[in-house]
Amino acid sequence: MHVLLVEDEKSLHNEVRQFLREAQYLVDSAYTYAEASEKIYVNSYDFVLLDLGLPDGDGLQLLREARQNERQEAAFIILTARGALDDRIRGLDLGADDYLPKPFSLLELTSRMQAIVRRKFGLKRQELTFGPGFVLDATGRTLRYQDQEINLTKKEFDLLHYLLLHRGRVLTRLQLGEHLWGNVLEDDSDSNYIDVHIKNLRKKLAHYSPTDFLETVRGIGYRAKSE
Amino acid sequence: MRLEAKLALFNALSKLLLVVLGALVIPPIVGRVATAHTDHHLHQKKEEMLALIRRDGLVAFVREKQSEAYADYNILKQEYISITPEPGAKAVPRERIFDELRQVEQEIEDFRILSYTFRGPDQRPYRLEIGSSLATVELLTATLRRMALWVLVVGALLTVGTDAVFAHYLLRPLRDLITRKLRGVRHPSAFTYEPVDTTTNDFRRLDDSLTDMMRALESAFAKEREFMSNVSHELLTPVSVLQSRFENMLQDATLPEPHSLKIVESQKTLYRLRNTVKTLLLIANIENARYLRDEAVPLASVLAEVAEELEDRLQQRDITLTVDLQPEYVVPRANRTLLFTLLLNLLSNAVKYNRQGGRILVQGRPAADGGYEVRVQDTGPGIAPENLPHLFDRFRRFAGGTGAPEGYGLGLPIARTIATFHEATLTAESVVGEGSTFMLRFGAEE
Repeated sequence: MHVLLVEDEKSLHNEVRQFLREAQYLVDSAYTYAEASEKIYVNSYDFVLLDLGLPDGDGLQLLREARQNERQEAAFIILTARGALDDRIRGLDLGADDYLPKPFSLLELTSRMQAIVRRKFGLKRQELTFGPGFVLDATGRTLRYQDQEINLTKKEFDLLHYLLLHRGRVLTRLQLGEHLWGNVLEDDSDSNYIDVHIKNLRKKLAHYSPTDFLETVRGIGYRAKSE
Repeated sequence: MRLEAKLALFNALSKLLLVVLGALVIPPIVGRVATAHTDHHLHQKKEEMLALIRRDGLVAFVREKQSEAYADYNILKQEYISITPEPGAKAVPRERIFDELRQVEQEIEDFRILSYTFRGPDQRPYRLEIGSSLATVELLTATLRRMALWVLVVGALLTVGTDAVFAHYLLRPLRDLITRKLRGVRHPSAFTYEPVDTTTNDFRRLDDSLTDMMRALESAFAKEREFMSNVSHELLTPVSVLQSRFENMLQDATLPEPHSLKIVESQKTLYRLRNTVKTLLLIANIENARYLRDEAVPLASVLAEVAEELEDRLQQRDITLTVDLQPEYVVPRANRTLLFTLLLNLLSNAVKYNRQGGRILVQGRPAADGGYEVRVQDTGPGIAPENLPHLFDRFRRFAGGTGAPEGYGLGLPIARTIATFHEATLTAESVVGEGSTFMLRFGAEE
């Protein structure tokens, strides 16, 4: 996957690039409008991660430009700290594929990218298998063990899905909470709801298989074991 | 009371006063004028008579030696003249004018009488009486009085009418100003800068100063908007950098555990900072009218969403949520996302500050004034009366006591800001030990 990262803030740029590279993306960098415009014109990308507040131009103009270029099929994800509602509307109207307000979680960014890939390549069913025979169907939002369907609440499902998407990584309660409750503004970081959900999930899964897939990393969070 | 109505009322009252004054003053004046006129007439007659007597002597009127009176009257008995010898009279000539009843032939009538005693050519005293019937005078004065009053009343009514019409015409620019420019304008962007059509300088000036003021306001809003946008960028970018950095650090498998724990702690702190900044931005943006209110949003559906969002927390604490809207209510001009945030904040507080196994009742009823009121009632520990007034203040937390967990911080100020944005009011009441109730009241439709 070839990604163009357009972000003028150097430290943020470096962090995002590092994370994406570790996640096996091929990352190209642009720090200014001019640079980005040229790179978009010359290369072909799968993703353009676009910061709107560039020093020498409006990021949205870049998006408009790219949309007129037929060879450029990149999916655009807008990253902005302006957090303004009208930016969002304008961004989506112009054909941005997704929008992430800063600050965003890098895990959230990569899951959004995966979701776009699934949409793009028309993967009707995205199934994740784990353990001795669990199948999580992300599209139909079901979890099956062999032929039996396991009833999960919406939050339990989202939690399991997110952990499986980032299998092998430790996810902090905060990261999980942020994914579950999204941008709902709550000023208490009371994420022990996550523990309750994990407890319930474990109970439900243990009913079918005794092995525990959800590993507790003490003091930090949880990890879905990679097999 | 409207200016126009006041003017009309004042006008009518002053005209009424004028009419009353007229009714009081006109009759005596008319009476006096009529009397003066009659007296003048009598004097003239007297002079004429005296002239006749000087020319012809009294013979024509009084038969010699026969102390007989002469009297003449016109056939209608409106006037009479009499000359009577007055042997006993001394002080001559003497003149008096008075009203008296007189019998002329068989009829008694009220007369204005000029009585004049004089010495005739024969040096004997005579009394000349000239009378004018008062009936005529009274008839005349009554007619005059009536006419004057009618003219007054009709004039008053006419001018009251024309004044009202003129005031209406004159005040039209002011009405325009109010209906077109001020009513319903809650933000400078909704203001019409098109000048009001008027030739009245005062209104022109009023309109111009309003427009100037609105322009100043609008530019202030624009500046604040720009400022917020910059602040949000300046604050959120470093937070963003840190957040990404922490995430990257946590991915490092060789990181010793104590460091990982420190990073998780830092992440939490950062998260708090982030939320505070975002909340302040949200409040600023709402107050700056950056959100649209362009949908009709049924409360029931938003509440359903909120309930779904909170389902796990309700279950976890074994809290029963009852939603009872009678009738259902559609917020006519609303922003769905903001309404969701508002109700979520109220309900999540009701969960947070509830007891295990408690209840939450959401009740919607029409308000007495035609609006609609939603009450969110919990069975929590309640809020101490001294804390109630500060519940919606930004950045105020309460000293322990009623077991308020951390985080009463910004949820309620957000809720109130959103309520105000929707022209609704948000208030709270509470009984310590029984629970708190938050009342969200939407105004009546205009």
